[in-house]
Amino acid sequence: MTELLFPTTVEEAVALLAAHEDARPIAGGATLVAMRNAGLVESTHLVSLDRIAGLAGIVRLEDGRIRIGAMTKHAETASCEMLSGSLEVLRKAAGMIANRVVRNMGTMGGSVANADPAADYLPALACCDAVLTIAGPGGTREVSILDYVEDWYETALGEGEIITAFTLPAPYAAASSYRKIARVSGDFATASCAMALEADGQGVRVAIGACGPGPIRDPEAEAALCGHLGDPEAVATFAKALADQADPVDDVRGSAEYRLQLIPRLISGVLNDISKETV
Amino acid sequence: MAKKMLHSLTLNGEEVEVASAPEATLLETLREDLRVLSSKRGCNQGVCGACTVIIDGKPVRSCLTLTARCEGHDVRTVEGLSDDRILNALQKHMVEAGGVQCGFCTGGMLMSARNLLAEVPRPSRDAVKSALSGNICRCTGYRTIVDAVCGAAEELAQ
Repeated sequence: MTELLFPTTVEEAVALLAAHEDARPIAGGATLVAMRNAGLVESTHLVSLDRIAGLAGIVRLEDGRIRIGAMTKHAETASCEMLSGSLEVLRKAAGMIANRVVRNMGTMGGSVANADPAADYLPALACCDAVLTIAGPGGTREVSILDYVEDWYETALGEGEIITAFTLPAPYAAASSYRKIARVSGDFATASCAMALEADGQGVRVAIGACGPGPIRDPEAEAALCGHLGDPEAVATFAKALADQADPVDDVRGSAEYRLQLIPRLISGVLNDISKETV
Repeated sequence: MAKKMLHSLTLNGEEVEVASAPEATLLETLREDLRVLSSKRGCNQGVCGACTVIIDGKPVRSCLTLTARCEGHDVRTVEGLSDDRILNALQKHMVEAGGVQCGFCTGGMLMSARNLLAEVPRPSRDAVKSALSGNICRCTGYRTIVDAVCGAAEELAQ
């Protein structure tokens, strides 16, 4: 039997998670309840995060940065006009998760805490240089999305910790885009690519999803590509650098070999989206 | 049988108290404890859409919603929308267009379609397909369902 607990503050939630050994936090429930229904997860206690004030919603901070509460639903992120320009990639990724109904349930914090490598937020957040705020028994800390995923479904989240927010750099006027290859609309990605043009228009930040335990980014390769976005050879070299760091698996959505072949195609596709918007 | 506890929720405009497992899903509570049967248990994984209900005006999966979290929220099923103008138009057009065959997906389809027409009165055919992309039908091949939603939208706009 599972008992549901309803804390109203982050501190209370963290204390409840510490007090019960196999307690789990539950955000939107889109994954956890599905796993419970399949008999894959059992807990004596579920700590529900839905009654904690201030965990949901998107705000612009005084310095222009954008903060997204961990309990913000995909539907809200997918329609948020503050996520424009360099941050539009995140809005686009949110709008490609599952379908309208599931987007009314799932949350960014839940998705990122679960860290499914094929889910849409990880590459989009990596391309935006997002910072996660994490609360736990030791207090609150910040972790870069680039240091967050440590291995397959293993993250920087420690025992009893929860994600409370995502902070994104202030958006600037430049194109950004997200594409995924999936078997059907709304499925998890076979492979995905998030890209944002740098403010000077010369370089890009690129993250590949679903081709390894976490999103793949390579700042050195990005620096080498800077100023050569229109050069097919430079783009091919860049794509190869990212594919070399990929560690894809064979699964029901595609073979590892197929995924490797998708990487350069996705990069060309997203570059094309960006150049169309820029012209 | 697992221990039950009392949950309170607002179902179709009425305050309801129901004994259900502490971690029961709304779908389990609706079907097994309240015998409200329009929501169907298809995949129980949030994929098929047959269990879709409307909470606070938005369609969600009842199989992924815990009953204990519904307290203070407004839950609507097909049963609670029998006088709803949009739902009635959809029902009429589903029958006329042949959008109902075995009927298992129909309740969930209606919930998703009703929400679409409430938000977007004249959706394009593609917008209808996109809005229904989370509802699986194994009988019709979808064309007649999309016809029905477009037909209802046209009638409602007149």
